[in-house]
Amino acid sequence: MKYLKILVIPLFLLGILSISCERDDICPESTPTTPSLIIDFFDVSNQEDSKNIFGLLVGGIGQESALPGYSVVTTANLVLPLKTDENTTQYALIQNYSINDNGTPEDPSDDFQEGNQDIITIKYSREQVYVSRACGYKTIFKNVTLTIEPDSDNWIKAKQSINDNQSVEDETETHFNLFH
Amino acid sequence: MKQKHTLTYFISSFIVMILFCVTVNAQNDSIVSTANDSTKIKLKYGLRVGGDIGKLLRSFVDDEYSGFEVIADYRLKKRLYIAGEIGFEEKTNTTDYLNTITKGTYLKGGIDYNMYENWLNMDNMIYSGFRVGASSFNHTLNSFQVYSTNQYWEPQFTSTSPQNFDGLTAIWVELILGIKAELFNNLFLGLNVQLKGLITETEPDNFQNIYIPGFNKTFDSSRIGVGYSYTLSYRIPLYKKYK
Repeated sequence: MKYLKILVIPLFLLGILSISCERDDICPESTPTTPSLIIDFFDVSNQEDSKNIFGLLVGGIGQESALPGYSVVTTANLVLPLKTDENTTQYALIQNYSINDNGTPEDPSDDFQEGNQDIITIKYSREQVYVSRACGYKTIFKNVTLTIEPDSDNWIKAKQSINDNQSVEDETETHFNLFH
Repeated sequence: MKQKHTLTYFISSFIVMILFCVTVNAQNDSIVSTANDSTKIKLKYGLRVGGDIGKLLRSFVDDEYSGFEVIADYRLKKRLYIAGEIGFEEKTNTTDYLNTITKGTYLKGGIDYNMYENWLNMDNMIYSGFRVGASSFNHTLNSFQVYSTNQYWEPQFTSTSPQNFDGLTAIWVELILGIKAELFNNLFLGLNVQLKGLITETEPDNFQNIYIPGFNKTFDSSRIGVGYSYTLSYRIPLYKKYK
């Protein structure tokens, strides 16, 4: 029994070591939390081919600034965060965006925007799912529908969800395809 | 968050201190045992009962904690004690995204083995112990805010309607390392550290047992827990026996 302490002490050290390596208080970047909606763009005339949008500016309806990373870009792929406190999120997608200074570069008051704006409306129901003590809860989106608000000159011609009854639960795959 | 790390550091260094205590005293006992051979001393046997004064103090100091523990042990043999604890705890856990309260009671039972060879009629302990613990508890999730890495839409959804997770249980085993010193006749002051290993727990639906009364904080990546106690106890002497 005298050797008991020789056995006990390493066990304690081992336990303490394994706990001091723990980082439970910070939500790791790699942990999947609230997912964003992923949209891929394809050519409407040849629906197998990915097609870039040029001069694209993406802004949330009700927001003053453009979505970070989408302030006049050329891309065929969108990652759009959804509101977690409402069941609807709207985005304006403006193709060939530019600011026309109206011939007066010094005077910004008469500037106007150029480009073709289409508004998409995403509707969904929300569910809160527990992740971990550091990250808390995430929101996942069920029964997601995407509508292109009709206007006189829609540049987005068609939409297609990847699954029937589309849900947005993670960011591993595309959720919607849009054709233009 | 900083505070928690400080606490972890404090506990770790405290445990390391305990370890050194043991090694120092371990050398003492090898000297003593030779001097002690010829003496015949009566040992006191009895039931020792007391409370965890650390938990009591923390209940006053820490707004997010209240709890108490009653401890008892009974001497079976010269070195062997049968020991147990019963307690209750209420702990509030607040992070940036969660606010929960855990309430519950727990019961622990097992043995203590005194590794210390006492001088003459002294009755101190440096002991290691083993326990099996069980807890019955519930969580109240007061509020939470949805975590999102993208903060373009603010604020994120916040739930403020409390949710209850009732009827939860957990069972664990414990390894204890501690000391008990006789301050006055039959009055003991003790401190110990506990290393716990979770065996089973009932997982709440869409939540997690982030705290288990008696087991303390749980960890995401392992089933290990830690704890400490400062105890004050009184021995009700029942009989004396020669070694």
